[in-house]
Formats: sequence, C-alpha cells, structure tokens
Amino acid sequence: MNSERHRRPPGRVIRLAAAALTLLASAGCGVLAGADPASAPDGVLTFATNAQPECLDPQVSPLDVTALVDRSVFDSLVSMTPDGKFHPWLATSWTVSPDQRTYTFHLRHGVVFHDSAPFDASAVKATLDHAVDPKTRSKYAARLVRGYTGATVLDADTVQVALSRPDASFLQALSTAYLGIQSPKSLSQNANNLCERPVGSGPLRFVSWDHNSKITLTRYDAYDWGPASAAHTGPTALRGVVFRFVTDDSVRFGMLASGQADMVDFLPNSKVATVRRSDALHVYRAPAPGAVYQVYFNVSHGPLADERVRQAVRASIDLDALVKAVTFGQFQRAWSPLGPATLGYDPQVVGSWQHDPALAGRLLDEAGWTGRDAEGFRTKNGVRLSLLWPYSPRVEQPDRQVLAQGIQAEVKQAGIDLSFVPTDAGKLGDEVVKGNLDIFDNSFERAEPDILRYIYSSKETPANGGGNLSYIASPELDGWLDAAVATSDPATRAAAYGKAQQYLVQHAVALPIWVPEHIVGALSRVRGLSFSPEAQPLFYDVSLASS
Amino acid sequence: MTGKARWLAARLGNAVVVVFGVATASFLAVHLAPGDPVRTLLGPQALTGTVEQVRHELGYDQPLLTQYLRFLGSLLHGDLGTSYQLQEPVSRLILSQIGSTAQLAVAGFVLAMAVAVGLAIATSGRRPFWRRVSSLFELIATASPTFWTGIVLLTIFSFHLNLFPAAGAGLRGLVLPAVTLALSLVGVFTQMLRQGMEQALDQPFTLSARARGVGETSVRATHALRHALIPVVTLSGWVVGNLLGGAVVVETLFTRQGIGQIMAAAIASRDLPVVTGVTIVSAVIFIVVNLVVDVVYHLVDPRLRTEGRA
Repeated sequence: MNSERHRRPPGRVIRLAAAALTLLASAGCGVLAGADPASAPDGVLTFATNAQPECLDPQVSPLDVTALVDRSVFDSLVSMTPDGKFHPWLATSWTVSPDQRTYTFHLRHGVVFHDSAPFDASAVKATLDHAVDPKTRSKYAARLVRGYTGATVLDADTVQVALSRPDASFLQALSTAYLGIQSPKSLSQNANNLCERPVGSGPLRFVSWDHNSKITLTRYDAYDWGPASAAHTGPTALRGVVFRFVTDDSVRFGMLASGQADMVDFLPNSKVATVRRSDALHVYRAPAPGAVYQVYFNVSHGPLADERVRQAVRASIDLDALVKAVTFGQFQRAWSPLGPATLGYDPQVVGSWQHDPALAGRLLDEAGWTGRDAEGFRTKNGVRLSLLWPYSPRVEQPDRQVLAQGIQAEVKQAGIDLSFVPTDAGKLGDEVVKGNLDIFDNSFERAEPDILRYIYSSKETPANGGGNLSYIASPELDGWLDAAVATSDPATRAAAYGKAQQYLVQHAVALPIWVPEHIVGALSRVRGLSFSPEAQPLFYDVSLASS
Repeated sequence: MTGKARWLAARLGNAVVVVFGVATASFLAVHLAPGDPVRTLLGPQALTGTVEQVRHELGYDQPLLTQYLRFLGSLLHGDLGTSYQLQEPVSRLILSQIGSTAQLAVAGFVLAMAVAVGLAIATSGRRPFWRRVSSLFELIATASPTFWTGIVLLTIFSFHLNLFPAAGAGLRGLVLPAVTLALSLVGVFTQMLRQGMEQALDQPFTLSARARGVGETSVRATHALRHALIPVVTLSGWVVGNLLGGAVVVETLFTRQGIGQIMAAAIASRDLPVVTGVTIVSAVIFIVVNLVVDVVYHLVDPRLRTEGRA
C-alpha cells in the first residue's frame, strides 16, 4: 500500500498547474508566430476614444461619443459647415414661411435605409415625432426641437414641419447627428432595441456593440447621397470603422504610438508636442463652438451677489499664465462665454479686463471685506469671505481640476477662501437645483449661439431643467437672447449676441477660461480627416493610404 | 433526511436569506443616496416634462414601501428588470458580460496559483538566495496597484514589443489582463503556500515519508503541498472578492467586456435594475464559491471528514 503511494505521480493540483502553464505557453507561442497586432491594412480604421455611448438611439443620448458614432450611421436633412452655412443632404432644398414657423423640405429620392426601408417624408415625420415622444425618454434631442408641434407629409418627397414659435437654431439642430433620420421600419419593429441596434441611411452600417469594448461599423456599399458639403460622392473609401473605448489617456496614446489605433481621440495636451515631432503621427485639431469652458459666479447667493466681489475674483487671477501652464500651451485663453468659432462671437470683449491684484484688493475693501482673520482671509462683520465650488470627481476632467487648484491659490492671495469640494453626483445635482453654491464650471459644445439662452436665460434655471448656473435673472439679457433666436437675419442676431456677451463680461457674471479644442492624433496614413461644425471627427471622406 | 441533506438544506436556507438581504441593501442604497434619481438618470438637458413622465413610469412617484414591494415581487418571479439606460433586460445584459469576466478571473487565478505553487515548491526551506529573490518579487507584486502593473505591462509588451494587443478579445488579448490580475494575487498565494509548506516540512509525516525513501520533489509536491493548501482554501472568499474587484480595474484598463464595467456605469447613472441585478448575481457567486469551499475542505482535510461522521 505504502509503496504504491510513493510511486503515484504528483498530485492533481500539480498536474492542473502544469497543464495551465502549457496552455499559456502555447498561447504565447501562437502570438509570437501569429499576425502583427498592429492594425492590418485592410481599410478598416481603428479609432480609440475615451468613453462609450450609453444608448445609440441618437434621439435619446446627449453624449458627444454617441454623436461621433451615429454621425456615420445616420444622415441628416441638412448639413452645416463650420462657416455657418447649410447644405443639402437628405433634403435637396427647403423653404421657410414668412412667419418663420413652417419649414417645407423637398427630399432626395432613392435613399434606402440599412434595413432596405425606403426614405421618404414619413421617415422625417417618424423621427421628429420619436424625438419629442415622452416614451423615448430623450435626454437632449427633444430640447433641440422643443418648438416642434408636428409634421405633415405633403407627398412622399415633401414634408412640412411646424414650430410653435420662430427658432433660428432649428436648421442647426436638424444638422446634428442627434436628429439623424431613423428608418421608420426600425422605429416601429425595433422599438425596444433602438439603443442597441441603430438603423439609419448613413455611409457606415452598424454591425455590433461589445459593451465596454468596441463598436463596429462597416461600409454601406449602396451609399450615394452624401452631404453636398463633403469632398467626395458615393460610398466611403474605408471598409469600416472600429471604435474602441479606452478610458486611460496614456493607453490611448500608446495604442497610437505603436500603431494599434489609426486615430485616437482627446490626445492629452502634454503629448501634443511629442506627436508633432514625429513623422509617423499627425495632430488634427478643431476648436469647439458653443459655450467655452467657463466658471459661473452665482449672482443670487452669498458674497458673489455683489458685483464688486465678482470683479475682484476675476482681477485676482492671472488667467494667461494659468491656462498656458495647465494646458501645456495648447488651449487658447477665452474672453467671451461664446467660443470664437461660433456665429455671433463678439471680438470686442477681448482684452476687456486685466490681471490686477491691486484692483482686486480695492474692490474687496469697497465691498466691505476689510477685516482679516487669523489665517489671513478677509472678513466682514466677523464672517470669512469664503466661496464654495463643488464638483463631481467622476465627471470633472483632470486638467480642469488642476485649473481650479490654480484659481484657488490665486484668489487666496486676495484673501478669499475658495473651497473646491469633490461631491457625489447625486448630492451635487441637489445643490445645483437649490443654488447652494458660489461657483460652478462647465462647457457646452454647440455650433449655435442660442446655447447662451440655455446657460443665461432666467427661464433656464436648474430647477426648470436649464443650465443657468450663474442663477442670473436679467430682463435685459433675456430680451437679447430671446430676440436673437426669433429672427433669421444674421446681422440682427449677431448684434443681439454681441450685447449679451458684453453684458456678461461687463458684470462679471462668469469667467471665461479657455476655448476647448478637440485634439485628435492620427497615423500619417490617415487621409482626408475633417471635423463637423461641432468639432467632431468626420469619417465619410477619410481613407487609409497604403504605407 | 440524512445529515448531509439537512446540512445542504440549511446552507440553501442561509443563501436565500443572504440574497434577500443583499437585494434589500442594494435597493435601499440606490434609493436613499442623495440626489434626484430620475434627474441623475436622464442628465441635465432632459426636458422637465420628460423627467416627470419617467418618474411616473418607473414608479419613483410611489411611496418607498410600494416601490420596494414591487421590486421584491418581480424579483420573486425571477425578473431582474430592464436597464433604464440601455433599455435591455438586465439578465440578458449580465449573461452577455459575465463570460468575459469569468474567463479573466479563471485565467488570472490559475496563472497565479501555478506560479505560486512552483515558487513555493522551489524555495520553501531551501535555496536561501532564490528564496529571498522570490520574497522580493512577492512583495513588489502585492504592493503594486493593479492599475500601475497593467500600465507597465502594456508599455513593455504591447506598445514597445508589440507582442500583445492593448485592447482585444481572444486568447492573445487575454494574456496581459490575466497576467496583471494574477500578479495582484501571486504574492499572497506564494507566501501562504511557503509558510504552510515550511511548517509541513517540519512535521513528523514528512520525516516518515522521507524515511520511506520518497524523493524530495515528491515529498514537497504531494505531502507538504496538500497540507499547505488548506489556508489558501480558507482564503477563497477573499480571493473571489479580489478577483471581481481586480477585474473591474483590469477590464477598464484593457477595455474588456465584463460585469464590473457595467456595474460602475450603472452606479453612476442610478440604473437601479442593473445595480441590484449585478449585486444579486455577485452574491450568488460568492455563496456558491463558499459552498464549494466547504466541500473542498472536506476533501483536503481528512480531520473534517471523520468529525462529520462522528
């Protein structure tokens, strides 16, 4: 018995371990002998970006990455170019009624959706109805077409869209991917699966979505109805696009540098110079239109209700130096709440205030913050001059957190105690609705100055689901913002937006920080990359040169 | 009812109580967290009308107790609900992701165990120099954050040597994630195994095995190793927790599919059905593992077997 036990081969665990090692070793050998892991020159472009959509129904999701993916899957009625002009796409022409409330679109004939359903006027109606249907649970598109009251199918190739009031931003809204036209067949038969299986008529067809990992699109060979603004006609030169969701900046950069990705989104500012020096890599950039990255001052609460304190905070910050340091010199410092790439941007506000610590001190003295406490902060009637700036660590980008710390240090010199406080997203939402904060920050990309109404109109308070984080209620400002969207005359619009921007800067309602830019790194074999008016990379004209 | 059946029934009864408790706790966690859950779900730019409509549809306008009873009711029917965000059944969502997490966890565990067993056999109570080298490696492996280990491996083996893809499915794409996960466990495994083996090697049964003429490798690999495995088995709960937790980090870094990622996104957006669904499934995995561990105990440790019969 005993002697038998001695001769027994090593235990089961050892055998298992040995088998596992053999398996792993053979897997490793397979790799070494196998294909080059760099993306093969098969015409499929790999694009690594930092986040994934939560739903691919363009009328549901508000995310930039959804627009990035859906732009290739869905066509829009019209296309917009960064110069603010509109071009035919699925609509060959359109007319607007004298009262600006009825748009008549003449549609392109012969367009076929990916599921073989034909495109016609009913598809336009179905898509717009879907956007405003409460069952859709739209997080953004419904807001874009808030004035939509209904569409009438005049004939298969003509549709009339009615608005409750004039809306100068309507065509721009229609040009975005968020109002990409869906297949009516898919809207009715695929109704429970629109998030997971988007069906449009765009140049690339949706193939699959591996959650957290990638989305695969493939060429739609029948495509022959690109926007009039595109550089070519017919199907894409690319055979497909694979979107990879790589959260970590350094991993995305590594994938580009090693050729595992053809293009990477949001190239970190610190890497731009490195990429520039390389012959194999290129940097593409597009300044984002809409509301620049800005810091809102709560004008209806606490110390910042006093305009002198807001002016003092602004004067105490050396913004040129701060922006340069935080963004490695990559982003342009902002002067207006509106980005320079947006229609109606007013260059007159440039240089309208200076970094002036002495002025900051005088203003605070005037405002009565003359005392000093043990830590050197200013006080009034024994109360310290302290400001609360809450943020969500999950959402706030790292460079913005660094900037906030810079601002904190600068205003401390002026005797202001600024707390930049990480806050749970749910709690933050509550505080924002209640207005229990002094400072907040964000940016909004939109190729339309009407974005100012969302962030500064007295009707757009957070409690009403708006974005007015300065909590400002100014009848003057409301007047300009409402007037600007009620007319389609560009000169009248620009004048009204000019007044609004000057007002916001003059009264220090917010502090514009920098103009965000979409920075994309690409291998040199990527050709023909352009950006949408909302600074998103467009894949329709892209090709891969055989290197 | 035999003793074994009674034991099993008691265990299953416990399991039901635990799952019920876990479901209740995750329901409360989502509902009692600050902030408006519907606004968090829909984001700042949804229209107020939409928010109120969805609040009604999801039953958030009902008293908490009503919501809780409804939630328990559908749970009893085996219905984990539909994801608010993805608008997809939670069970389908979990099924589509859990395979990938299991693959990663099993590969990481087997790899860590294989290396640990090899190191323990080679260095227990001998080769002082290599024992010290091994100890240093274990210390570094244990102390390094998973995220950092992953970045280092990626930089070397993917970005510079181009041997493995930074993001990709299949066996080749599994290598770096599995190694990263294994490195977070291998240090603890090796130290426990070595300690156990060194104790075992001092035991009379080792002496008697040697006296019978058993070779050194065989003594270590069969007699001492089996003795040393017991504390590792005890650690299984910790290991499963670590594997699932580590998998979240590894899945993020290597952009792999998996339930960890889904869970992280669901918590951020207050996607209640996904949060409770993944929590319940994790609890079930935990319970099953512990049950298996108990059985394995009986196999590995003969003393428990005789006690059971007595």
